[in-house]
Amino acid sequence: MKQKTSASLNLEEVIKKYRPVITFKVIKSIGSQTPDWEDIVEEILTNVIEKIQTGQFRGESSIGTFIYTITQRRIIDFIRLKSKSFSHVPEPEPYKSPVEALENKEMADLAYQAIKKLKPKYREILYLYYYRGLTREEVAQRLGITPKKVSERVHYALKLVKKNLKIKK
Amino acid sequence: MKKCQYEDLIDDYLLGRLSPPEREAFEEHYFNCSLCFQKLQEQDAIISVIKSQGAELFQDIYAREHTKAPSWLERLSAFLPYRQVAVAVATAAVVLLIVLGINYFNKPSSPQFIITDDLVRGESITLISPVIDINSIPTKFRWTSLGKNVKYYRVYIYNHELIWSTQTEENFIVLPEEVKKKLTAGEKYSWQVKAFSADGHLVAVSSRVQFKVMNSQ
Repeated sequence: MKQKTSASLNLEEVIKKYRPVITFKVIKSIGSQTPDWEDIVEEILTNVIEKIQTGQFRGESSIGTFIYTITQRRIIDFIRLKSKSFSHVPEPEPYKSPVEALENKEMADLAYQAIKKLKPKYREILYLYYYRGLTREEVAQRLGITPKKVSERVHYALKLVKKNLKIKK
Repeated sequence: MKKCQYEDLIDDYLLGRLSPPEREAFEEHYFNCSLCFQKLQEQDAIISVIKSQGAELFQDIYAREHTKAPSWLERLSAFLPYRQVAVAVATAAVVLLIVLGINYFNKPSSPQFIITDDLVRGESITLISPVIDINSIPTKFRWTSLGKNVKYYRVYIYNHELIWSTQTEENFIVLPEEVKKKLTAGEKYSWQVKAFSADGHLVAVSSRVQFKVMNSQ
């Protein structure tokens, strides 16, 4: 497939598509508690636009890989800088509050209700696998089923929750 | 619809179970695959709810897991009248006393060991992970199981002083989110496990092992 180059890219579309992806990666790397995350996302987007406008994107890789490289470099720079100014680097917040994660509380409530309504065997699998953080093998041993069955059950439980989110979206 | 080969990595990525090269490959992929990114966001949202509201969400399962199983005496009382249970218990006690008495007079007394807080003669616990420098805040601490003689383990995590301690009946613990936040990259930590018998006696102690959380990026 022929890769797009700077000249053939629609900047508005690029920003619209990649803003959420960059935001997700930045928050996962430095945590949403770090007040700089929004500035970093903006800086990355500005850098991307600048590079595209000056013809630095020559289509040697996909645009996604090009933006990922810029994003990753900026995050590493940020962490290095913070490591010098503070005694430790800012640690990513492992999990955001549901409000931040789902962007609105209503969605978090829907997910909560959907999980609550699941059959006991599906709630139990989500509890052991995600909340207790056990591996598939450990869950399998505890429930007396195979690890493959654990994966299937987790997958199906998530599917049921997602279905509920989509219907009410 | 054809399933993307990276889809199976979503869970491991969100749970921090990918190695750094695997993680980077997956991240580069979701910058290129809208479908995987959409699924990643959905899954992240659900896991966030589970992680942040799990205590409330799974209250019933947690309670059931931690409810003490009825003792043999309670189970027996469900079938027999109280007087019969009392007679059975008294008979068992008398038989036990006789057996113990015979053993006491026939056997030489066993050597007495004084168990101080940290010095125990006998089996020791081997810490499995984390035991070396690691790239990210550890999620799970694991050690060798000592089997049936141990009723519970007590785990201690230190910086210069004790940061956190907890008790478990298993040979691992999953670090709660609030404790993970206390650990920072670049710092050295140490941890230790002590094993206790059902009557609360210290039966084994691990050495205190140091680990350092490296810069993950």
